[in-house]
Amino acid sequence: MLKSLKNITFGVVAAALTAGVAHADVTVYTAGPQSLIDKLSAGFTKQTGIKVNVFQATTGKVMARIEAEAANPVVDVLVSASWDTATDFAKRGWLVKYSSPNAAKVPDFLKTDSAVAQGISALGIAWNTKSGTPKPTEWADLTKKEYKDLVNIPDPAQSGSSFELTAALAGQDNFKLFNDLKANGAIIAGANADALNPVLQGAKAAVFGAVDYITLAAKAKGESIDVIFPASGTVIAPRPAMILNWSKNQDDAKKFIDYMLSDEGQKAVADEMLMPARTDIPANRPLISDLKLLKYDTAAVYGKRKETLAEITKIYGGK
Amino acid sequence: MKANGIGGAAQSPALAAWLAIVGLILVVAVPFGAVVLQGIFPNLGQGSFAGPFSSLFATLADSALIGMAGNTLLLGGCVVLASAVVAVPLGVFRALYRIPYAPFWDVVLLVPFMIPPYIATLGWIMTLQPRGYLQQLVGFNLAPFLFSLFGMTLVMAFNTFPVVYFAVSRTVEAVGSRYADVGRVFGATPARAFWRITLPLSAPGLAASLMLVFAAAIEEYGTPAALGRRAGFQVLVTGIDLRITDWPIDLPGAAILSLLLVAMSLVTFLAQRWILSRRSYQTVGGKPTAKDKRPLGALKVPVMIAFAVVAFLATGVPLLAILATALSRTISGGLSLGNLSLNNFILVFGNSAGAVGALVNSFSLGIATALITGLIGVTAAYTVVKTRMRGRMTIDVMTILPNALPGIVVAVGLILAWNMPWLPATPYNTGFILLLAYCCILLPQPVRYTTAAFQQIGDNLEAAARVFGASGITAFRRILLPLVFPSLASAMLLVFALASRELVASVVVAPVGMQTIATFIWRQFEQGSIGLGMAMAFIAIVITTLLPLLLLTLLRRSGLVAE
Repeated sequence: MLKSLKNITFGVVAAALTAGVAHADVTVYTAGPQSLIDKLSAGFTKQTGIKVNVFQATTGKVMARIEAEAANPVVDVLVSASWDTATDFAKRGWLVKYSSPNAAKVPDFLKTDSAVAQGISALGIAWNTKSGTPKPTEWADLTKKEYKDLVNIPDPAQSGSSFELTAALAGQDNFKLFNDLKANGAIIAGANADALNPVLQGAKAAVFGAVDYITLAAKAKGESIDVIFPASGTVIAPRPAMILNWSKNQDDAKKFIDYMLSDEGQKAVADEMLMPARTDIPANRPLISDLKLLKYDTAAVYGKRKETLAEITKIYGGK
Repeated sequence: MKANGIGGAAQSPALAAWLAIVGLILVVAVPFGAVVLQGIFPNLGQGSFAGPFSSLFATLADSALIGMAGNTLLLGGCVVLASAVVAVPLGVFRALYRIPYAPFWDVVLLVPFMIPPYIATLGWIMTLQPRGYLQQLVGFNLAPFLFSLFGMTLVMAFNTFPVVYFAVSRTVEAVGSRYADVGRVFGATPARAFWRITLPLSAPGLAASLMLVFAAAIEEYGTPAALGRRAGFQVLVTGIDLRITDWPIDLPGAAILSLLLVAMSLVTFLAQRWILSRRSYQTVGGKPTAKDKRPLGALKVPVMIAFAVVAFLATGVPLLAILATALSRTISGGLSLGNLSLNNFILVFGNSAGAVGALVNSFSLGIATALITGLIGVTAAYTVVKTRMRGRMTIDVMTILPNALPGIVVAVGLILAWNMPWLPATPYNTGFILLLAYCCILLPQPVRYTTAAFQQIGDNLEAAARVFGASGITAFRRILLPLVFPSLASAMLLVFALASRELVASVVVAPVGMQTIATFIWRQFEQGSIGLGMAMAFIAIVITTLLPLLLLTLLRRSGLVAE
C-alpha cells in the first residue's frame, strides 16, 4: 500500500513538474498585464530566437519576490507599474545604464540613463454610463449629492499611481477634496480592480482615479463604462523597464528592451489600451498631449508618503 | 488498556517515525526555520546576519498591532462558533438518523470546500451589493450586513463548516449509538445519553475540526481583505500582506507578525491536547458495531429544511453567483437573456491565456500534495499516538506549525531557504517549490484527521495482532491502516481540493512561466476580466468535486472504504 503510494507520488510529481525548469535566456518580471508580456515575449522569441521566461504579478508581489531572492537573484529585466521603483533601484545601484537606440522617440521625461518607459497609463474617473447619475467632468463633481454613497477610491497604500494622485490633489487644498468626498459617502475600496468591479455591476457609479487602460479595455468589451480625464489635471503612471546589474544575460536583456521599444513592441503596448512610450506610435485613445497633468514635485511627494497615507487613513476611518 | 511496546522488535514504529521526521524537516522545518531567522536577522535576504533583533521591537511597538491581534482572535472565535452552530446539529443527525438522500447532502455540503474563499466572497459581494444579483431579482440588497464582522463571519463559516460537519458525522458514527444505548438501559433520557455519552466520546473529532477552523480563519486572507477593510476591520494577515507588498518591503516585520499567528494557533492546539489528554476516547475495539440508524420520525420535515437551507446558502448562492457572472457577456449587462453568453467558457477551453495548462498544473500538484501529505500525515500521527518514542511531542508540534502560517509567509520562507547561492541543486524556480509550499501549508489536515482516528483505536487491536505473530509492519498495514483509512482518505481528498486552488503562496513562489488555477483567476480579476476568471473558477470547482467522488466510488468498489 505505502509502496504503491510512493510510486504513484514520484510518477505524478515527475510528470507534473518538468514545466517550470528555467533554461531561458531572459527572465522578465513584470507588473504589466499578462496578455501584453505574452505578446511581447512571443514576438521577441520569433525575432531573435531568445527564449523569455516571465513572472507576472502586481508591483508589490514582484518586489517581494525580488527582495526575498536578493541573495541569489534571477531576474534580468524588470517592468514595474510605478516610476518610483526605477528611482529607488537606481539609488541602490542595482540598474545597468542603457540607452536603447529605439528610445530616440521617447520623450525625455519618460527615460533616464538606466530606465525607460514601456508605456504609460493615466488616472481618470471611471463612470458607469447606465448609473443614472450625470456624467462627471471634474474630480470635485464627485462630491455632489448625485454621487452620494456611489464613489469608490482605489487604496493609495496599494497602488503607486493612486498615491500620486492623492498626494497631488491633497497638496492643492490640504485634503479638503478628500474630506468632502468622505462626507459624501465615498469609500476606499482595495486595489484598482477591487474598486472598479462594483462600478461595473452598478453598486457604485464612479471610481475616483481609476487606471485608464483596464477601464478602456472593459469598455472595448462592451461594458457600459467610460473614462473621463478632468480638465483640471490628472496624473500619469509611466511603467519603467530596467535591466538589473546582477543579470548574466545583459546583452540579451538589452535586446529585449530594444524589441519592447520597436514599432512592433510599441504597437502591442497600444493594443492593451496603454499609451505607447514613443510619441510616433498611434493609439486609439487619448494621449499625453491630450491630457492636462497636475504639477507636483515627485520627490517631495514620496518624501511625505507616510504622513499622506496616515492622513487619508484618518479621514477614511481605517483602524 | 495501555499495552504498546509489546515485543522487542520495534521496526514498524522506528520506520514510521523516521519517515515522518525526514518529511517534516523537509516540508515544515526548513521554511519555518527560514521565517524565524528572517524575524531575527533583518538582512537575511542579502545573506547577512547583521543587526539581530533590530526589527523585533519596532514591529511589536506598532500601535496598530493590538487592534489587529484582537480582531484576529475575535474573527477566529466568531467563525468557530458559527461553524459549530451550523455543522454540529447537521453532523449528529447525519450520523445517528436515517437521512433521506444522505449521499446527496454529503456531496452538496462538500462543495463549499471546493469553492476558493476569495471566489465565494466575490460571489457574495456580487449578489448582495447594491444593484447586485439579489437586487436585480427581488429588488433589495443586503450590503450593510455583508461588509461587517457579521457578514465576514457568515461568509467564512459557510466556507469552513464542512470540516466540522464531516468530522462530527464520521466520529459520532464511529462511536455509534451502542454506548448511548447502554446509558439508556441504565435510565438516561435520550437527550442526557447524547450529552453525557455520545458527544463527549466524539470530542477528538469535534475538537480537532474546530481547531482547524480556527487556524483557517485566522490565516485566511481573501475574505477579510475584501470585506473587512471596508468595515475598518484589519487583521494580522492583512497587516502581514501590506508589509510584504508595500515598497519598501518589510520581510522581518511580516515574519514576526506571522510568528504571532503561529503562537495563537499553537495555544489552541495545546488547549485541545489538554482537553483530550484527560481521558480515553477509544471506541473502536474489536467488537462489531450495529450500523442501524434510527428513523427521523416527526423531525423529518424540520431536519430536511435545515439541510436544504444550509446547502442553499453555503453551496447554492456562491455557485449561482459564479455561474451567473461567468455566463454574462458584460458585468454591466446584468441578469438578462440578451446578456447570456458562453464566450467565457469557450475562451477557457480554447486555452486562452494558458487556461488548460493552468488546470493541468494545479490538478497534478493537487494529487502529488495529497499523496505526500497523506504519507507524512499517517506516519507522524502513528508515531505520536501509538508509540512512546521520545520527542514525539516535537513531531506533533511540528505538524501544527504550518497551520497558522499565512501562505505568503510560507512562500517567502521557501524562497529564503531554497535560493541560497551555495546550494548545489534547488527546487526553486521549478514546479517542486509549489509542491513544497502546498505540502507545508496543508500537512496539518491529514495529520489532525488521522491523529483523531488513531486516538479512537484501542491498543489491544495492535497487541492482538502482535500476539498472533504479526510483525510491527504487518500489524500496521493490516490492522491500523485499514481502520484509519476512511479518515486518511477524506483528509487527502480535502488536501487535493485545497492544493489545487491555493492562491496566496502560489502568486509569490510560482516558477517563472508556470500558472495554476488560482493565479490564472487572480490575473483575470486584476485585468478586469471577471467573467473569464469566474468561468475558470466554475470549471475548477466542478472538477475538484467530481474527481474525488469518482475516486471514492472506485475505492468503495475495491472494498478499501466502507460505505
